[in-house]
Order: sequence, then C-alpha cells, then structure tokens
Amino acid sequence: MSRHILVLGADGYIGRRVMAGLAGSGWAAPVAAGRREVLSSPHERIRLDATDQVALARALAGVEGVVNCIAADGDTMIAAARALFAAAEATRPRIVHLSSMAVYGTQTGEIEETAPLVDDTGAYGSAKIEIERLAAGYGPVTVLRPGCVYGPDSPQWTTRIAGWLQARRLGDLGAAGDGIANLVHVEDVVAAVLASLDKPRAEGQAYNLAMAGAPDWNGYLFRFAKALGAVPIKRIGNRALKIETKFKAPPLKIAEILARKAKLNISLPEPIPPSLLRLFRQDIRLVPTKAERDLGLAWTDLDQALAAIAASL
Amino acid sequence: MILDALDLPDGHVLDADICVVGGGAVGISLALELRGSGLDVLLLESGGEDEEEDTQALYAGKVVDERMHSPPDRYRQRRFGGSSTIWGGRCMPYDPIDFEMRDYMPHSGWPIGLDAIQPYYPQANRLCEVGRFDYTIETSFDQPSRPMIKGFESTHFTTDTLERFSCPTDFHIRYHERLASAGIRVLLHANVTGLHLHADGKAVERLTVKTLADKKGAGKTGAGKTGSSKTLGVRAKRVVLATGGLEIPRLLLANRDVHANGIGNAHDVVGRYYMCHVAGTIGTLHFSGGGDAVWNGYDVSDEGVYCRRRLALRPETQRAERIGNFVARLHFPRITDPRHNHAVLSALYFAKPIISYEYRKRLTEDGPFSWATWLHHLRNVVLGWPDAAGFAWHMLRDRKLAARKFPSIIIRSRSNLYSLDFHAEQAPNPESRIRLGSDTDPLGMPRLEVDWRYTRGDVETAERSLALLAADIQASGVGRFDYDPASVEYEMTRYGAYGGHHIGTARMGTDPKESVVDTDCRVHGMSNLYIAGSAVFPTSSQANPTLTAVALALRLARHLKEHIA
Repeated sequence: MSRHILVLGADGYIGRRVMAGLAGSGWAAPVAAGRREVLSSPHERIRLDATDQVALARALAGVEGVVNCIAADGDTMIAAARALFAAAEATRPRIVHLSSMAVYGTQTGEIEETAPLVDDTGAYGSAKIEIERLAAGYGPVTVLRPGCVYGPDSPQWTTRIAGWLQARRLGDLGAAGDGIANLVHVEDVVAAVLASLDKPRAEGQAYNLAMAGAPDWNGYLFRFAKALGAVPIKRIGNRALKIETKFKAPPLKIAEILARKAKLNISLPEPIPPSLLRLFRQDIRLVPTKAERDLGLAWTDLDQALAAIAASL
Repeated sequence: MILDALDLPDGHVLDADICVVGGGAVGISLALELRGSGLDVLLLESGGEDEEEDTQALYAGKVVDERMHSPPDRYRQRRFGGSSTIWGGRCMPYDPIDFEMRDYMPHSGWPIGLDAIQPYYPQANRLCEVGRFDYTIETSFDQPSRPMIKGFESTHFTTDTLERFSCPTDFHIRYHERLASAGIRVLLHANVTGLHLHADGKAVERLTVKTLADKKGAGKTGAGKTGSSKTLGVRAKRVVLATGGLEIPRLLLANRDVHANGIGNAHDVVGRYYMCHVAGTIGTLHFSGGGDAVWNGYDVSDEGVYCRRRLALRPETQRAERIGNFVARLHFPRITDPRHNHAVLSALYFAKPIISYEYRKRLTEDGPFSWATWLHHLRNVVLGWPDAAGFAWHMLRDRKLAARKFPSIIIRSRSNLYSLDFHAEQAPNPESRIRLGSDTDPLGMPRLEVDWRYTRGDVETAERSLALLAADIQASGVGRFDYDPASVEYEMTRYGAYGGHHIGTARMGTDPKESVVDTDCRVHGMSNLYIAGSAVFPTSSQANPTLTAVALALRLARHLKEHIA
C-alpha cells in the first residue's frame, strides 16, 4: 500500500521534481501542497499556506512523510518550519527537510556534516541554520544540505549561467573561479529525498549533497560552455567582473524593479550578483561520502548531464 | 598566510618541514602542490608584493662580454611572483629526443626520460593556464585548422606541433589567494644569504635570512620600521632552492663555510654548462599563391588559449644531421628597415620608447639615427594610417585591456613576404658559466659574473637547419627562402644569448663529477637540499623552459610528500 507523502513547496524547482520522483517510485502517494490554486495538476494537490499551523495539522492527517522544499525569504521559511514541526507533533511523521550548504557559511576546506554551522552570509543562511536547530528539536528528521542544484531548467545554476556564458559575460575567471562548484544534479536530490524517506538509518541525520570530485567553478563554466558550443570561452579579468557587479548590477536591478512596478514587459540582461562571485571564489568542498554510504547515492555524470541540458535549451 | 620579514623581530627563528626559497613560478607551484599534505611549508621570497628598486638591485652583477648577454638584473624579477611578472607566456613541453644521450651533442643525456616528467605536465599546464596538455594541431582542435604553409611537404620539418600561450600568468597575482588561505606561510622581504651546514657537510641545518633596511615602511604592522637590516633564522627538515638558474649557483657558491668550493661543488660543476638559447631573425621568405597560402597567426583553443604552429626540426633529422633541436616561426620583416613599407611596423619603430627593455631588445635594435630612415618610417605610417589605426585598436583591445593577452605582434603580409624567426638548442658547455665576482651586494653576498659562451656546434645547428628549410621550401614549390648563409652566426648572436632562459647551472645527473643534483633533484652528497627550476636541466631543447621547470617542481613536490613522513 502506498505511503502518503506531503510535499511542501511543491511548485518550486526542486518540489516539482520531488513530486514526479515520488509519483514514479511505486511506493509513495505524493500530495502536493502549494499556495496557488492549480486547475490541472497531474498529482493530488491541496492548497495550503505553509505558515498556517492549523491548516498544516489538517493536511498531515494520514500522512506518513513530509518533504519540506519551501524556498522563500528567511522569515517565511522559518515561520513555515515552526508551523510544520509544531503541527507534526500530533502524528510525528518522518520529515525530510531541504536545507542548504549555506549553513556552512564562509568556511573553506573539506566540509563534512559534523562541521560547525556558521551564520556569516546573511538572511538566507541564518534562516537555514535556525530551521536546522528547530528540526533537531523535533527529532525524526533527515536534513539534506545540497550544494548547487543544477539540471534542466534550473534557473539558478543552469539557465542563467548558460545565458551569461553565451553572452561571454562568464568564462575563465582566473583566481575568481578557483572555488569549488559543489554541484548536485536535481535528480540526485530527488533520489536523496526518496532514500531518506525509505531508509530508517537516515532518521536524525544530516547529509551533504554534492557530486564526488566536483570541479572548480572555472572547470564547470568551461565544461558547460563546451556543451553549449559557447567556445572559445573568454578570460574574464577582475576589471570586467568589477564592472559587472559595481556598475552593471545596481542599475539593472533598479530597472528591473521599475519595469515590474510599471508592469512593463521588457527583457533586461540579468545582473551577476556579487554574492555569486563570492561563492565562485570560496574554496569549500562538501564531502559527500556519508550520503553515498547511507542513502546509496551515485552521482549523475556531469558531462552527460550538461550535454542533455544543452540539447534541451 | 602572507607574512613580512620586516614585521618580525631581529633574530627571530622560524621552523618548518619544508622551506622553499624563491616565490616565482617554480617555488609557488611547488608550495601549492604541497598544500593539504600536512607538511608545514615556508616559502621565502626576497621581494614584496610590488617591484622594489633596492631589492631588484640585489640582482645586479657583471657580464664578461656585454654584447653576448644582458645584465643579470634584466629578464628576471626579484619580487613575489618572480620573473613570471614579466613573462611572455610561451609554453611547450620538451621533446623525447631532448632527454637522450646523443653522441654528437657533448654532455647530453638526462638521467631520466620524458616519461618521468610526463605525468606532471597536465597539472603544469593548468598552473600556467595554457589549457589541456596537448601540443599537436590535430588533437588540440576539433575543427581542422588551416595549414601553416599550403602545400608545404617536408621530410625534415613538421608544422604539426604547437606552442600554447599563457595569459601570461603572473603567479603572484593568480595564486595569491590560494597561498594566503592555504596552510602555507609565505614570508616576504626574506633574502636567504646563508645555507649553514651540519659539521659533516651533509645536511643544511639552518638558513640565514636578511632583510634590507625598511625605508618605506613596507612591513605591514609597522613593528619592523626600525630602518635597519634584520637577520632571521630558518630551521627546516628539507630546503628547496627555487631562485632561478642564476641565483642558485650564486647561493651554492657563496656558502663555503664547510665545503671550500661551495655547496655541491666538490667537482667544480656548479654554475657551469650555462645555457640560454640561440635565436635570431633571418632572411626573406617569399611564398607563392594567394592570400590563404600562409597562416602565421594564432588558433584559439576552446579554453581561449592562443596556440600557434611552428616549423619544428624532426628528431630523425637531428640525428641524421648530428645537430641540436630547432624551431622556426614566420616573422615580420625587420622593423628598423623602412623598406618594408608597412605602416604597422613603422609605427612600432616610433613606439620603441614605450616598449619595455625585455621586449624592445629583439623587437627593435639600436643603430645610428638617420633622418632619411625616420622620414621613410613616417611616410609609411602616414600612407598606411588605416592599417596602423586598426593595429593600434587590436593591441588595445586584445592585449592592453584583455585579461588573456594576444601574445605577440602578428603581421599578415599581403605580398606573402616574411622573415624567419628561429629558436634553437644550445649545447651544454662547461666553459659557459656563472661565477662569483669580487663585488658584494648590500647584504654581503658576492655579485654574479656571467660568462656565457656558445659553440661551433650551436652555430651548426642553426646553419644546417636553415639550409634544410630553404631546400625543403624550394623542393615543395611553395616559395623561396633567401638568406645569407654566411650571416647565420652573426644573426643568431646579434642580441647575444636569448634573454630570460637560465638553464643548466646545477645540472641533473648520476655522476657527481659531472652533475650537481641527482634524479630526485637533491644536491649530491646532501641529505636535505633540493633544487627546483631550469638550473637542473642537463640540456636546453628548443623549448622555452617554464612549463618543464614547473612540471619538475610538481615532481619534486611528490617526492617530498613521499619522503618526509
């Protein structure tokens, strides 16, 4: 008999893939929970404000597992997590919580799950750390800490980067691209979610999710550019990167906000945020061996995935 | 961690597992490769983050024949990053034949083969930022490339090999962050003057490190602003000298407190066999055919690396002709002679004062000034101003402002007229040498005296190669190569030894009577003193030395990791 699994944040990039993965698992009956009304969902669906503890408690009836894929601003994520853990006390379902490598802050070097959580990167990282703290209080939770989730249509680590590579705004960054690209394919995240729900040993554990032998950012950008045919790549010097973040990014951001307010449908070049360039330099390697061992994960081959992504763009 | 010796108290002693002396391309590569090994690495760098006149002046010395060699404080930089801060960036590996004992090449033969270095070349390529380790045209490019010379078939030369150009990478700027964050200590303004041996003479016990007086408050904290020179000490389990092919013999020869002839010099080998390369520009190449008959420009690899084909003398020809290794490139006509009627070349004639010494030397030449010549150059520029303006824009965009710089001046000749630029192996010669002069520098170190020599064999390598090339061009019917065979020696020594390549002064070998270091780059008879860099190369090849020097440094890093448990 299928186990009912409630997926919070089911309309997001990871949530949609998790829904599909659960539906195809053969053992799960996933229920999508989202704020928006969707008329023709392929899956069972409920409309839910995830910060509403009462509504959550209602939704949890008969549910054996919950996957929390909510991506929002820090306060909303914390409010939703509080509501979830409180509401879940009644039935104590298994919860798989999607955290982030942001909980490690600006640490460098080889990072295992036992590394301290460091709150030094801003509101997003703070919220993720706070939620992990709440999760520890709840108990039967598996915390997944993915690095950079890439895959077809991944806006953050795939499509916008493809655009910048094609425009030669990114390329060989020199020292600015020496950080490690802790990439994890979205299907590997889905596999980790499924295994976390399925394997008793995952209970109460945290797992880094990043491909073994992840390249540095220069390596990722080159391999992606090669898959896209956006070669030869260009060496982007520090001057050009400064122009991107100091001179191009602020007016582009303002223009984008103004265009949205004025309801103008214009397409502006996407600015490269300074936070991204800081990450490109960060020499942090998530050690993924615990997830390989406990969850039985095998990482998607990067070049094969990039070829498929390039073909789909 | 980047520290400054000027911030340390006088008399301070530092301990380390491995002390690397010299923070240039080789020392930095070695230190980076030792990261994560658990070894405590201390990198001593004489200079600071920028060029400093008084530190650079420590390189000054004498040259026996000033026409034959540039002053020792040129073509090398005593600062963090070393001479990579003025590097041209040309990279290519040594050829298999370079390692062979060749009976026609005196003192040739490495005690290791290419196979011993090969595993380290790919990482050396990455550190030098020249893309993947692939140096033939067919394998480096997915698309078939234009032939260098259409229809040129040669039994003696191949046009299939490549040279790849670095950004050029300034190792100081490029790897600063990695060196600052890793478990490595870099100590700036640290001049090693003393290598103090154990009484048995078989190990380095301690290094003396001196600073120059801190005139400008170069130290970061101000703690060291006493204005006077300081002396520090270093104790390390292993010491690696990576100070370049001129400074290594200087350090070895100047330290005589235990060994009367200097360290590693029981058999008077240190500083001898000094090789640069011989190089020159000669003759006129006339190619028949249309505009696509010749391709002398760069091909850009997917990584964005500028690659260029050249004419390389085949190894079987070298053996048959009993001559050294040799490469040649198609070059523009001599700049100073305005009869080329080329606006760009005449513009370069006028740009001479703004080109740095190291690059000016071979680009232009000094000669008697003549108004007629000057006016002819001016006429060339005025008449061809659109060409000159286009070239200026190209150099501004693709070289001056580019993060990866267009490597050299390429002039496409509409009339298919070129000169030939050649670069050849110099035979190891014990009479070509570096020794200590009678002067000392402000730190009390004897200054260098450079006595570079070439041999009849070096001239023959160039003469035979050029003759073979002329014959091959003629035979394949693609054009003509006219040059004066009697002028080869003059042209290859017109500017003296090729600048910046300092090879062979602490050569590798198995016999201490004929070499300074063993196959692990350890000084014969010393348990803990190693040498990294082109000083250990027993022969000079046609190849520029940086890539191989970095590869050998990586190999040494591996040895050190394995042998210092």
